[in-house]
Amino acid sequence: MFPLEIIFNIAAAIAFLIYWVAAFIVLYHLTRFGIGVQPKRLAAIFLFGSLIFSALSIVLFMNVNITSLIPK
Amino acid sequence: MIKEFFTIFRESENSFEGQKEGEKVLLLLRRHIFVILVPLTLFTLGALVPVVVGALFWSYLADNGWRELFLLVSSLWYLGFWLSIFYLLTIYTLNTVIITDRRIIDRDQHDFFNLKVSELHSDRIQDVSIHTNGVIETFLEFGDVTVQTAASERHFVFHQMPQPEKIKDLIMQITSSRHAGVKAAV
Repeated sequence: MFPLEIIFNIAAAIAFLIYWVAAFIVLYHLTRFGIGVQPKRLAAIFLFGSLIFSALSIVLFMNVNITSLIPK
Repeated sequence: MIKEFFTIFRESENSFEGQKEGEKVLLLLRRHIFVILVPLTLFTLGALVPVVVGALFWSYLADNGWRELFLLVSSLWYLGFWLSIFYLLTIYTLNTVIITDRRIIDRDQHDFFNLKVSELHSDRIQDVSIHTNGVIETFLEFGDVTVQTAASERHFVFHQMPQPEKIKDLIMQITSSRHAGVKAAV
């Protein structure tokens, strides 16, 4: 595998990891400290949206051929 | 069982950490919705950035073979955007004032890891005042509620509360009920 491709894959993995750590913090705060119905609803919407956007990003990530972007 | 699980989105009680046995939540308050709508609206403009960039440079991106990369960057933009929107909503939602039949609890969540909780027992309340400032606050009926305690010169300010008049009346009713030794009727 070309090194740039490895770097690209690692960068994407790190970006997803950071996103899901931050998402966990949001979900934890909403469900653990939220009072009443509103925080639970927000947590559900946030989780649903995060899954959709993440799936979309993964599909688009698979479509990118990073080696074709390097000028020869 | 699944049906039961989904009831938490309809029937969650206003219970909170540190609630005493038999303590009844009379009012759960958050800042007026206008307070969060303004930053959210400004933030939503950020969602248009990939759309505008795509509309302006679509053919250029396609010619250079950058279309897939642009779509990936846009999806990452929306991921960040989604997270930022919910960061604002979380901080807004966690900033609460809980009025119970015994005390008032003010939870000031400045950040995820920066929380200040103040508690005020209703028998120590001496005076409640409200302050509505400006055209928007007057028309949308929100303002600051200041509660003065008997203990010292300390006072509590609950900022941008909806219907401050009602809050003031309720606090005064609880205080007088506590002094008289009867429970407040809400």
